[in-house]
Amino acid sequence: MNNIKIGIPKALLYYKYSILWTAFFEKLGCTVVLSPDTNKDILEMGIRKSLDESCLAMKIYMGHVEYLMDKCDYVLVPRLKCLKKKEQLCTNFQALYDLTQNVFDKQILTYNVDLEKGFTEEKGFIAMGKRLGFSKVQALNAYNLAKLSEEKQKKKKAKERSVILKTTKKLKILLAGHPYNLYDDFIGKQIEAVLKNSDIEVFYSDVYQALDIDKEIEPISKSNYWTFNKEMIASIAYHEPLVDGIILITSFPCGPDSLSNEMILRNVHIPIINLIIDESDSNTGLITRIESFIDIIEERKKHE
Amino acid sequence: MNAYLGVDIGSISTKGVVIDEENNILASDYIWTKGNPIDAVKRLMNSLKDQVDNDRVKIIGIGTTGSARKLIGSMLNATVVKNEITAHAIGTLSLYPDVRTIFEIGGQDSKIILIEDGIVTDYAMNTLCAAGTGAFLSSQAERLGVAVEDFGKIALTSQKPTKIAARCTVFAESDLVHKAQMGYKKEDIIAGLCNSVVSNYLNNVGKGKKIYSPIIFQGGVSKNVGVKKAFENEVGTEVIVDKNGHLMGALGVAILSKNATNKTNFDFSMADEEFETKGVECNGCSNHCEIICVSKNHQMIDSWGNRCSKGDLINKKKSHY
Repeated sequence: MNNIKIGIPKALLYYKYSILWTAFFEKLGCTVVLSPDTNKDILEMGIRKSLDESCLAMKIYMGHVEYLMDKCDYVLVPRLKCLKKKEQLCTNFQALYDLTQNVFDKQILTYNVDLEKGFTEEKGFIAMGKRLGFSKVQALNAYNLAKLSEEKQKKKKAKERSVILKTTKKLKILLAGHPYNLYDDFIGKQIEAVLKNSDIEVFYSDVYQALDIDKEIEPISKSNYWTFNKEMIASIAYHEPLVDGIILITSFPCGPDSLSNEMILRNVHIPIINLIIDESDSNTGLITRIESFIDIIEERKKHE
Repeated sequence: MNAYLGVDIGSISTKGVVIDEENNILASDYIWTKGNPIDAVKRLMNSLKDQVDNDRVKIIGIGTTGSARKLIGSMLNATVVKNEITAHAIGTLSLYPDVRTIFEIGGQDSKIILIEDGIVTDYAMNTLCAAGTGAFLSSQAERLGVAVEDFGKIALTSQKPTKIAARCTVFAESDLVHKAQMGYKKEDIIAGLCNSVVSNYLNNVGKGKKIYSPIIFQGGVSKNVGVKKAFENEVGTEVIVDKNGHLMGALGVAILSKNATNKTNFDFSMADEEFETKGVECNGCSNHCEIICVSKNHQMIDSWGNRCSKGDLINKKKSHY
């Protein structure tokens, strides 16, 4: 039972649940094997294992799973449908487990969260612990401890960033998008690199203090039911008065974003651009767009 | 006399100007890039050299813009390398200080630039797709057996433009074939194409933006009077096309080089030097970055394309010596 190796793909929901997952398995005494940051080999493996029409983030995910194949006992692939009543996650997250199970011949470790049907995250983690041979109490303990450390670290990060948000003298740009796009080496990281080169302080839409999502989204949309997109829209509305510009990052082709981007672009009244990233290698167009965006913000600042 | 050189090198065409201290254009040219930016710049330099009095005119600032700005910037040893949005805005503002909106449709890009009190306040560019740009129009012209230069004139003769779906080039093409087979007149289809370029542009690039006049329309497609007319119908006000509209990017970047503090001494001799580019795959990690190396007379002068310092070939080489 000791030293079970759990592979965690460094893609998609990893960027939201990294602390929870790692802490949970480590508290149980398992070894966590992480795939590396996305690189070209991973992307290419992913493209080969994916449907043509999948979004870039999904293709990247499949590459990470493939990388882990021979390096662990199980690969963790959760199935998340509903985290909040009357809301949903993108169908990709609902199908993720079945998809990977069908593509890869590998022991997949999963947990199911579908709040409307009574499947809570806690139940999911307990079932997962049991499958690995631990008792209910052991699993629950590990889950609770992991939850605590997740909360603590998130709060700490949010506090640090909010201090910088208030005190920095540099130009401030919010990178808005799904965390798996914002922090991926092939998507958001290359944008962040261009910004940091121009001495810009970068903030992320998934890092915030005391954000009332329902209140922020109320005047913008009453019908949006995508949990992650609601969070993104609310965070943008919250950051809008605090930053100099917003870069909205989308991986091509994203269903929920195609709807919510329209809402965002029409509701934001400070400089904003939408960068859509696909699997093409050349970033010339990307750099042109970012550079001119920075020029505009700097010019505006000078004339204020 | 001090002068400044501006080069705007796009996917389809290469534009160059030489200006004096008062922004007067001393020399200019517009040539096809033909997929070979190095050769295009050499041809451009030869043409500009012939137009200026080399004993009198001394070029002390060089700016490059456009999609090959970096490559050409290292070739010319440019003092300013700037993106085309800023360059176009600066160039246009020097001729039309009160401009509020710039429509720009080029070979593969289309953009809108919004200006308030002489500063750029917002812009948008087409995203992944090149529908409704010059490349789209010229491929459709070919299909219809019409020279793209005549497109505008023919469009103006239409009484009843046909509706063409232009959201996607592939669908537009099949729609166009279908309409032609149905018996729609050629001029109506062409006028319909011009309209669809405009509605595509306003819906995609210009979406949600408030458009104020004066409006300047530039880029290769602005030479098409059919598209200009379609814009005027759609926005309900005059759209200005300057006879030097195609030079705005080059002019803007020349002005930027005039305003910059670093200066140089340029004598067009680079047109006789031998330049080469070479793609090298870095094997430092599994990203396999494709690094572009530029060499002048077989000596590497610049490199880029690396994601990390492992592939920073030019600086590695410098520290080597």
